[in-house]
Amino acid sequence: MAAPEVVVTGAGMVTPLGGTAAECVRAWRHGAAAERRALPELSATPLADRLVARPAAVDAAARLGGRRLLKYMSDAAVLGCVAAHEAMQGACVHGRIAPQRIGLFGATGLAAARIDEIAPLIEHSIDAQGELSLRLLGERGLAQTNPLLSFKILANIPACIVSILEDVRGPSYVFTPWEGQGGAAFLEAHEALASGEVDAALVGATDDATHAVTIACLAQRGVLGPDDVTAAGAAYLVLERRADAERAGAPLLARVRAMALRPVDVAGHDPLGARLGRTLAAAPAIAFALQALGAQVEVRVAGADRQEFTAELEVLA
Amino acid sequence: MRRVAVTGLGVVAPNGVGVPAFWRALRAGESGIGRIASFDAGGFEVQLAGEVEQQLSLEPEERELARGDRKVGFALAACREALAQAGVAALSPASLLHLGTSLEVFDLGNLVAHGRVDFPAAVRRALAPGGRALQHPLDAAVRRLVQVLGRPGRALTNCSACTAGAQAIGHAFREVRAGRCDLALCGGFDSMVNPLGVGGFQLLGALSTDNARGPTACRPFDAARRGTVLGEGAAAVVLEPLEHALARGMPVLGEVVGYGSTLDAHGLSAPDPQGAGAVRAMRAALDDAGVAPARICHANAHGTGTLLNDEIEARAIREVFAATWPQLPVSATKSTTGHLIGAAGAVEFAACLLALAAGEAPPNPSLDKVGAGCELCHVVGGPARLDGEFALTNSFGFGGQNAAIVLRRAHGG
Repeated sequence: MAAPEVVVTGAGMVTPLGGTAAECVRAWRHGAAAERRALPELSATPLADRLVARPAAVDAAARLGGRRLLKYMSDAAVLGCVAAHEAMQGACVHGRIAPQRIGLFGATGLAAARIDEIAPLIEHSIDAQGELSLRLLGERGLAQTNPLLSFKILANIPACIVSILEDVRGPSYVFTPWEGQGGAAFLEAHEALASGEVDAALVGATDDATHAVTIACLAQRGVLGPDDVTAAGAAYLVLERRADAERAGAPLLARVRAMALRPVDVAGHDPLGARLGRTLAAAPAIAFALQALGAQVEVRVAGADRQEFTAELEVLA
Repeated sequence: MRRVAVTGLGVVAPNGVGVPAFWRALRAGESGIGRIASFDAGGFEVQLAGEVEQQLSLEPEERELARGDRKVGFALAACREALAQAGVAALSPASLLHLGTSLEVFDLGNLVAHGRVDFPAAVRRALAPGGRALQHPLDAAVRRLVQVLGRPGRALTNCSACTAGAQAIGHAFREVRAGRCDLALCGGFDSMVNPLGVGGFQLLGALSTDNARGPTACRPFDAARRGTVLGEGAAAVVLEPLEHALARGMPVLGEVVGYGSTLDAHGLSAPDPQGAGAVRAMRAALDDAGVAPARICHANAHGTGTLLNDEIEARAIREVFAATWPQLPVSATKSTTGHLIGAAGAVEFAACLLALAAGEAPPNPSLDKVGAGCELCHVVGGPARLDGEFALTNSFGFGGQNAAIVLRRAHGG
């Protein structure tokens, strides 16, 4: 039996090029490049020349319709939730498809440990010899930190918050932390639709590679090219079987012609990197969303895990 | 669709390293929980964990990886045991590698110099040859396995926390069953037994501070349960089509026959009070297997020892097994291992598989008095005899991710 056609019915994006999918596509079409800046925390390090690109500040409460769960969210989670909300709204999923029939297939990048968040924990845990004392960390340091810290560094939490805010109750996978894992989420979404396990798949990723500890980790791992700019961004899409979407009168943005994930020899191919910055786990989703909305961009992303995600879409809208 | 056989199993757990030792301890109700020894937890309210104390057989490079992030060593040791049993020496493009885990490790001590947080100095040290990593990405185990075993068709790191191990096995089962791969190495590995892991969960109030109880501090379904106890370890599984396994003469340890996954969409730290997501996950796994609830002879509960989880899970099990729950033996192996978070689903899959093979369900040695609302046919006082063919294992995660897997006894007809 032939696999059913799959279409994109909703797309949401937040990147350094714009705070909505439409803004991102418009900026991409106009040849815009993300604004870059240096990080003060890296100024006295061998990474002083590294630049980052961040989206403009997002009013998450306004975009998400309230402050619910904001206190649990890392910066990456905020971006992911805003992008997912835009995608779900665009696809008009709520009320059309039962929550149990919607799956969530996501990816996240490295956990972002912000120096300003962890410094108080450590400063209060330094002993008379000037060393970190884990005993003092237990006695004093922990009291200085955000009690919700675990929610900000557990890698599945951004996707779980999306599920709560968007009332998604079907099957799920969350992968981490590189580009190939972001691509894997799309394959699983497609498979869940093809098998009939779900009627809609909310698929995408969020990554925030703009914090100093993260950049040091990426540099140490050899993930960054000499001129690479790291970025924060997120994209989510709603995929559905075409026949169902047409029957329901859902917006038909693009048709998925093909997608694949395969091992490759070369790491670090990111068609967005030069203009948008490298968003690592989120790069496949952002490229996919841009192409689905008619931007000229190749969906061929190979990451530090030496797996290449490719997709071909036919724009319908 | 193809039948999916388990031909390799590896376990690293606080109460046993290697499958024989693990099963011996489970069957005897021997706990691996004790005072935290891997770091000075004397200042923490929580001072207990299930730690792996035995030295593992690792290559020098792997020992270095494990020095920075203990869980990587557990993953590699468990995978080696599973691969050896399955007679698999390499991964091919027709294979899948999928491991689950949860939380990155940050080297806090590396950030300190001259009595203060000195980030520039830490970066300089980290980038020097042989420098210690400040942060350990979660793909380290998968990356190392690809280096030594060759590239599979797909190599995945799943970060779905408490359901990650079960998801990895469930996904691999589906891929083998559908013919999208011919062999899968899958499972889960984790250790949150580090200052940020223990401290972070302590701050959330999820952990037992009942330090005086020692090895019985993790008390799933008990009236005196006070929170879970973190554990560490790994389990790895080799899956392949049953006919391949039989054709190459491999002993079949059991079969995976069904998998279900759901989201609560309720809250981050508390499950849906009605257990709806848990019920749907179990039913989805049973439907996927084509097995009626009455044919399940054993269930391994997620059973964390937290007030909310256990009562809600018990309610969910009673709902799914409405006609049979008074006679359905339920094990809760976190009572002896602690909560292995990203590894929990895989280690408990292993426990279920071994229980089916032995025809005995492991006991819950810390269950003295069943808590209100936790009524089930708990296994206490020693192993319970199992006479059926199918078992089910549950994994319910922080954040509302749920997974259930149905297993079948080997040569079940």
